[in-house]
Amino acid sequence: MRLRSILAPIVGVAAFLGLWELIVRVFDIPGYQLRPPSQVLRYLINDSTGFPKATLQTGADALQALLLALAIGLAFGWLMSASQWFEQAAQPVLILIQVTPWVAYSASVVLWIGGGARPVLFVATLVCVPAFSFAAVAGLRSADPASLELLRSVDASPWETMWRVRLPSALPGLFTAARFAVGLALAAAFFTEGGALSNRGLGGIGAKAIAAQATLPLWSTVFCSGLLGATALFVISLLERALLGWHASQRRTPR
Amino acid sequence: MSANVPAVRLAGVSKSFGQVNVLHEIDLTVEPGEFFTLLGPSGCGKTTLLRLIAGLTQPSTGEIVIEGSTAAAARRAKHFGWVPQSPALLPWRTVAANVQLLTQVNRGSRVAHAADSSDIGGWLERVGLTGFEQALPHQLSGGMQQRVALVRAFALGAPILLMDEPFAALDEITRFEMRHLLMDLWQSTGAAVVFVTHSLAEAAYLSDRVGVLSTRPGRIAAVHDIALPRPRLPALEDTPEFFATVTSLRGSLHAAMSPAAS
Repeated sequence: MRLRSILAPIVGVAAFLGLWELIVRVFDIPGYQLRPPSQVLRYLINDSTGFPKATLQTGADALQALLLALAIGLAFGWLMSASQWFEQAAQPVLILIQVTPWVAYSASVVLWIGGGARPVLFVATLVCVPAFSFAAVAGLRSADPASLELLRSVDASPWETMWRVRLPSALPGLFTAARFAVGLALAAAFFTEGGALSNRGLGGIGAKAIAAQATLPLWSTVFCSGLLGATALFVISLLERALLGWHASQRRTPR
Repeated sequence: MSANVPAVRLAGVSKSFGQVNVLHEIDLTVEPGEFFTLLGPSGCGKTTLLRLIAGLTQPSTGEIVIEGSTAAAARRAKHFGWVPQSPALLPWRTVAANVQLLTQVNRGSRVAHAADSSDIGGWLERVGLTGFEQALPHQLSGGMQQRVALVRAFALGAPILLMDEPFAALDEITRFEMRHLLMDLWQSTGAAVVFVTHSLAEAAYLSDRVGVLSTRPGRIAAVHDIALPRPRLPALEDTPEFFATVTSLRGSLHAAMSPAAS
């Protein structure tokens, strides 16, 4: 059981990379069009352009944005669950942020607040706020009414009700939002890093590689971002297992 | 508090939601240490009456006095042990942590609370849950969950226990065990109980007095003194006296439910 749960994902990824390798070799696709994964991996291992540092940079950018968006989302969710007025005012704005393609305004943000870390953090945070806000408001509201009444029977303060009942009730939804937001934050961080023209992170390397039509470094940034995303999701599932052991989603039912 | 102050006193309490008259002119007094049961069909306003006593909703007219003061003061002092219809256990807390929930709330406040019982193990042993301290609610059966809910209220050490059909969702066999367990737990405390039920056997077995509620709008149609001897033990349910009590409650309930009664 445990062996399979480790082995199966490795087999899946290896099969995917193998198929890719096979297609490039069988159809003899030239390197300026598509690289086989073996070449990209070899390039990554031998190159000293600083991929580890860039990967950590992009990872830190995305992580900061995720945590900031979570904090803002919780505050918005709390306000929305407390006030219908606020909810009706905030909802269209959050939906606009969610549906407007961030690639469309990322460059404008750079022009507005300049290069470097700030536009990256701004865009990557902004795109994640709606998901966390909606998850928070739905979760805080989904608390069991009987439990809320039980706490009222001993005059629990709003803060205690929030901490002891509402927030834990919101956790499953917040984790789902986090899984979704990881991809968003990484994409926005990568793209805005590239647009900020500041040699920042993987996005900085990617932007230069596109300008030079250098496919190997470009594909290397893709591999590194993929690794970042996979690592983030792995950490999230570890946290889920630790914090959501009580929730039906985390229980293994025998089949 | 003087011994003469009733635990719960309602005078002329009515409650309506919009045009619907749910409760009409309820007068009711529950003495300290008394087990008072509200018996009635579903939809007669029993739960609303219990929520009024706890101050979780306000009466349209009338007066509610708890221990000579207000329901709000009683809630602040943690003088209500609330047992809801569903166990309302927090699924992320272990059994032991759920039992401690109510005592943990507002621990930092300066208001003197009822004696917080820290003897969680002792309570769980009395309800047969030794060894389940670290279990999560989803690992327990419905009856076990409701036992945790009972212990959670008793562990608060509150002088007034408010129970809203706590056994209604359980099967008949478990219900039978639960009322005996409740009796055993309660007889060792001096708490007043307001117990809401639609079960004649529960009303007869548990109560000192039973108030029979009529429907639409809920009124107290009759109050029965239950003269069965205490302590009450399960064997009581096989005696002719018990049958007679149930029969008389049934008659009173049917009278309260028939339209002629209004």
